[in-house]
Amino acid sequence: MSASYERGINAFMEVIDAPVASFFSSCVHCGLCAESCLFYTETGDPQYAPIHKLEPLRRTWQQEYTLLGRLAKLAGLAKPVTDEELAAWSPLVYDSCSMCGRCSMVCPVGNDITMMIRKMREGMAAAGHAPEGLVTATARSITSGSPAGVKWVTVQAQIKRMQAQFGIEIPVNKEGADYLVLMSSWEILNYPEYLGAVGRIFAKAGATWTLADDAYEATNSGIQIGASDLARQLVGRIVAAAERLKVKCVISPECGHAYTAIRWEGPNLMGRAFGFEVKHILEVLDDLRRAGRLKLKGSIDKPLTYHDPCQISRRGGVHEQPRTLLNQIAPQFREMNDGGTMNWCCGGGGGVSANERAEALRTIAFKRKKAQIEELGVDTVVTACANCRVVIEEALEHYHMDIEMLGLTELVAEHLDEEGI
Amino acid sequence: MESQSKNAVGAALEAAGVSRREFLGFCATLAAAYSLPGTAVDAIAAALEKAPRASVIWLSFQECTGCTESLTRSHSPTVEGLILEQVSLDYHHTLQAASGEAAEHAREEAMRAGSYLLVVDGSVPLGNPGFSTIAGVSNVDMLMETAKDAAAVIAVGTCAAYGGLPAALPNPTGAVSVSHLIKDKPVINVPGCPPIPVVITGVLAHFLTFGTLPELDHLGRPKVFYGESIHDRCYRRPFYDQGKFAETFDDEGARKGWCLYKLGCKGPVTYNACATTKWNDGVSFPIQSGHGCLGCSEPGFWDQGPFYKALSMPTASMQKAVGAAVGAGVAIGAAMAIRNKAAMTAAKAAHEPVRVEDLERKS
Repeated sequence: MSASYERGINAFMEVIDAPVASFFSSCVHCGLCAESCLFYTETGDPQYAPIHKLEPLRRTWQQEYTLLGRLAKLAGLAKPVTDEELAAWSPLVYDSCSMCGRCSMVCPVGNDITMMIRKMREGMAAAGHAPEGLVTATARSITSGSPAGVKWVTVQAQIKRMQAQFGIEIPVNKEGADYLVLMSSWEILNYPEYLGAVGRIFAKAGATWTLADDAYEATNSGIQIGASDLARQLVGRIVAAAERLKVKCVISPECGHAYTAIRWEGPNLMGRAFGFEVKHILEVLDDLRRAGRLKLKGSIDKPLTYHDPCQISRRGGVHEQPRTLLNQIAPQFREMNDGGTMNWCCGGGGGVSANERAEALRTIAFKRKKAQIEELGVDTVVTACANCRVVIEEALEHYHMDIEMLGLTELVAEHLDEEGI
Repeated sequence: MESQSKNAVGAALEAAGVSRREFLGFCATLAAAYSLPGTAVDAIAAALEKAPRASVIWLSFQECTGCTESLTRSHSPTVEGLILEQVSLDYHHTLQAASGEAAEHAREEAMRAGSYLLVVDGSVPLGNPGFSTIAGVSNVDMLMETAKDAAAVIAVGTCAAYGGLPAALPNPTGAVSVSHLIKDKPVINVPGCPPIPVVITGVLAHFLTFGTLPELDHLGRPKVFYGESIHDRCYRRPFYDQGKFAETFDDEGARKGWCLYKLGCKGPVTYNACATTKWNDGVSFPIQSGHGCLGCSEPGFWDQGPFYKALSMPTASMQKAVGAAVGAGVAIGAAMAIRNKAAMTAAKAAHEPVRVEDLERKS
């Protein structure tokens, strides 16, 4: 089998369910979604209006699932969706959408445009119109366990480093632990301090945790490219490990879409509820704080801000926790304009950062984040998503901005009250 | 003024005791109504003063004389009333002194002189010529004969403009409007039951000043007077916008002067100048006196449903139509649902699991 136009259209037919049909039929063409999309606001190019990115899917719905559309098609009056059109839409669906969900928030009739983009990618991937970068990343995820090709030996090396650096124990494959900790490729490669931070915090809080050697990677390229069959395989690895190790809770790392993949899409992909909880690391930290098991002291004596990762804050609902934590240690915390659930995306989510074709556009789209940071006059930006962090760091380099990026979990670990508890 | 001929409008007005100030005030009102600049006031005044008294033939067919009453009796003499009086009304059933053959002779004389304006009130019965005759001549014959050489035809009142009451269902006389019969020259409709006097004089003044007729809308009405709805110009409009409605004619809302929409006011779909010019020399208009607009200046107003039902209410029993629509909708919806379900199931059955190697096309 190979990808084909027919498989793509068939996938469109599969994903157009009642919500999609009602969304398409209730769109009032107001154009508000355009103003909410940073790929439109930063380029002014109307082809980046979110609802327009769904045009082939909309026409498929109209021609296949509506009475008038069917009649028009039978009478030869409807313009069929062509393979060339799908190819032309590939940059719109993959390069100019980070599935950040801002358009879904502003739609006055409540259309979840982001969810429809996610669904449309199923057809685009099946038709072979996914960008090369994402195809490669997905292939590596399936074959080697991680989109960046990170193997367990690399993780082992980082475990050793962190154990030596912080004098902590990092358990592996420990049955019956409270938490199964996952990581994203970026954390394993660029920010292994995350692992050290988690180890120190849990040691202090007296929580038991473990890594799994067959499920260390939290990211899910299957979801980004839009291949549920592959996404299911990737989530299945984590579910299998969590059930094998009988953990109470799986912790999604500082990675936005990983959280969406495991917490929201996971049970739907698997077709059943999990026997364990799934939480983002910030939720876990705030839970521990509330239970009195996490005490912080000291403060950061400089102005800083928090960049809300879309999938964690807007799509995931974790926006109070980071502020509660930051307010304890950062007296000069400054809220970004549009901060919280309406924050602007870094421009690299939803697979855009893995897609080389989108690089130039992503750099233009970053102007929005650049302006947000500049008007605050801070030199430090804290976030809770390794992908946001990498994307922002690269863009800061490009625009010659001298801004320091920090992960919130590491920041918390550095301010543990050693005498407390 | 001394230099003008005795037969001119200006002299006639002067003779009737209309002051220069009153006359210029009237000209200014007209200029404003037609959206003309201030300098036009003098031009209108000059033209009206010098204009020869236009010859007017007034034909009354199936009507109630209410239009004539409205124009001549509704208020003490005003400039507009006098303008109307001072046109050379050569033939008018109700107003002329002559009767019998002398009256018809006057009409023929006026027609022979040419360049006259024809004013018609009342509708024309086509069902049987005997339904309405004047001096043994059927209405339709008299209209066609008189209109042949008229400079323009003004259909005064809703009956002449759209058929009005005589044409209301089941229209026993086969009544039609003037514009239904006259196609070869301009017909200005001045609808209303009755129409506002200043609209008639305004049209006449326009004709006398510029030698042309004012701009008309798609229903042949002068746009200056029929361009906006009663609703848009109603002083109770703010209550509508606030959702404050009188629910009955003697409730708190009615006493407070709230919007009469729910009591059947047709203001939103009626285009006329009542809310601006008002009636009885600017004293009041129906809504101001506590009753909703009937929509009397709109085509077919008599058949537009009950006067006291809100516009949003259905005018006839909808049960059958709704029942049929629901039935058809359910049937089509169910058929589409079954068909769509089958299409979706087929698509799911045709799903080939996507493997990594399926993400690219193999040539």
